[in-house]
Amino acid sequence: MFVVRPVAATDVAALEANASVATPGVHTLPKTREGIARAVEHSLTSFAAKVDLPSDEAYMFVLEAADGSLAGSASISATAGSKGTFFAFRNDVIQQVSRDLNISHSVHALTLCSDLTRYSQLSSFYMRGWRTAGQEAALLSRARLLFAASAPHRFADRFFASLAGVTDESGRSPFWEALGRKFFHMDFLDVERMIDGARNRSLIVELMPHYPVYVPLLPGEAQAVMGQVHGEGELPFAILSDEGFEPDEFIDIFDGGPILQAHRNGLRAFSASRRCRVLGGGGIREGALHLVSNLREDDFRAVLAPAAFDEHDGVSLPGATGEALNIGAGDIVTCAKL
Amino acid sequence: MLVVRAIAEKDLDGLLDLATRVGGGMTTLKADRGMLGSRIDIACASFAESIAPEARDYMFVMEDLANGALAGVCAIKGAVGLEEPFYNYRIGTLVHSSKELGVFSRMETLYLSNDLTGCSELCSLFLHPDYRSGTNGRLLSKSRFLFIAQFPDLFAEKLIAEMRGFLRDDGSSPFWDSLGQHFFKMEFERADDLTSLGKKSFIAELMPRHPLYIDYLPAEARDAVGLVHTATAPARRLLEQEGMYYEGYVDIFDAGPVLQARIRELRAVRDSDVVQVAAADGAQGAPLLVSNTRLADFRVIVAETEACDGRIALNEDQRNALCLPAGGAVRILSLNHHA
Repeated sequence: MFVVRPVAATDVAALEANASVATPGVHTLPKTREGIARAVEHSLTSFAAKVDLPSDEAYMFVLEAADGSLAGSASISATAGSKGTFFAFRNDVIQQVSRDLNISHSVHALTLCSDLTRYSQLSSFYMRGWRTAGQEAALLSRARLLFAASAPHRFADRFFASLAGVTDESGRSPFWEALGRKFFHMDFLDVERMIDGARNRSLIVELMPHYPVYVPLLPGEAQAVMGQVHGEGELPFAILSDEGFEPDEFIDIFDGGPILQAHRNGLRAFSASRRCRVLGGGGIREGALHLVSNLREDDFRAVLAPAAFDEHDGVSLPGATGEALNIGAGDIVTCAKL
Repeated sequence: MLVVRAIAEKDLDGLLDLATRVGGGMTTLKADRGMLGSRIDIACASFAESIAPEARDYMFVMEDLANGALAGVCAIKGAVGLEEPFYNYRIGTLVHSSKELGVFSRMETLYLSNDLTGCSELCSLFLHPDYRSGTNGRLLSKSRFLFIAQFPDLFAEKLIAEMRGFLRDDGSSPFWDSLGQHFFKMEFERADDLTSLGKKSFIAELMPRHPLYIDYLPAEARDAVGLVHTATAPARRLLEQEGMYYEGYVDIFDAGPVLQARIRELRAVRDSDVVQVAAADGAQGAPLLVSNTRLADFRVIVAETEACDGRIALNEDQRNALCLPAGGAVRILSLNHHA
């Protein structure tokens, strides 16, 4: 059975091994041992923190396989711009109307914006062997939102995830070539390395265009990849779309990749999940597959399990599920349909 | 002999004939009888001083006195942009720099501006192909500076001239194709026609309101910024010799340069003199621009003669061309700036 749980200090070595095989530019994972250790430390502090208002907390989760190895990891930040302003390009439509000439058409423009700064951000989704991954990938991705649903005071009302845009085998991004390179004079991957994939650094204000970028002026190659996800991002894109995220409003300022965003009321983890009391009595084997998580902020657990409900918000789960979630009969769990 | 003179009502047919020979890209001289007719009316009212100085449009024709044919046309507008907005792109600079990354990018941008509102404008210069030789081009273009030197108070502090921008051999504009076309969704010729018809409000309605980075444009369009049409290069040189210069304003459609100068800095204003005419035959010297000093019947010729002690020797033909008696006053300026 796969279990999602908060990262622990003992996970650093396994995370480092996973990061070494991840494709650069595709993952917002920290790559160095120091970076990983820092992220883990920050996560431990965040889980332990008493939070009134979401701030710079970042919660990191790992997907533990039955053999105890780490099959994946994923994070969620309380606010995207905790250490600065989070920048994105907003897709704007500028109406061009001339009554005299009976002309009316629209021009697509990209505006550098900080709208996402206060949003909570899903990031660093990494799945070992993602091509062959099963439903545990959805478990890993969506467990973050179940955690948010069980501790809403730790998060904003809105969430987003920025997925990698299109690059070729050598890491060349057509969108970057048309835009970022003109301001940074560097290769895409070099910049990503230098700023650790961050989008909340003041150098972005210093270097990126302040005025709207009129899309028709960009080369066709760059226009074609706007909002398009990198091949390796298709899995998280599908999972998040399924969860209720919408990709149309924003794109990444560097590689033009899609930014999926949603109000929590539009997310299944919030609107289509239910809190149930675990029933005793031996457990079940049959039932529709659900994401099930406990409600503990300090010892969060989520698994996939068949669940059977009664009419009084009681739920029967397999015996092993209770163990994996560290709960017993009478405890409350969050259940969301897969 | 050729004389540049104030236009008159009788010149409409000749002007229309000239206008039919003008190619695209020249918005102020379309071959339209009605438009040209009303333009002549305004010019006549301007020379008669019956309309306000800023509404005036002093139009001149170059006449071949041998046969009465019109060899060219040119004009000076009292002021631009006071009745309908006058648009240009101003080329500005935005610096994007990050000490942390060691990056310093100096980016050129296009700002939609009305900065040149109220300036006087040299415009509508066209020389008949049969007359493109000798001193004719210089006479036609530079005659206007003599007019300004004679009547500086009729003009704004600043003088501008929009030069035709670079076009491909087929008449299309690389700048328009890369920029304007996306916002106007029409051909260059049509936009050009609409402008000349005075339907300029559509510019404000359709042009991008935010500054544009020139670097976004394809190389061919970038290279066209501030570049004149091949056929206009000599005209640009003439204006530059008279003290006009390019200061980073370009046309919003074809990116042709706007030349500008303060009137008091023009060579003609600084260096021209008023002298008395002496009747004489056979005088020789470097070519001079010679004009009479009358507003309503302004006339300019090129004379190879000599001026000294406040007098200039002009033969009978020259005096007739200027409609001057002996003893009258003329304004003179060496035709070439280095002479």
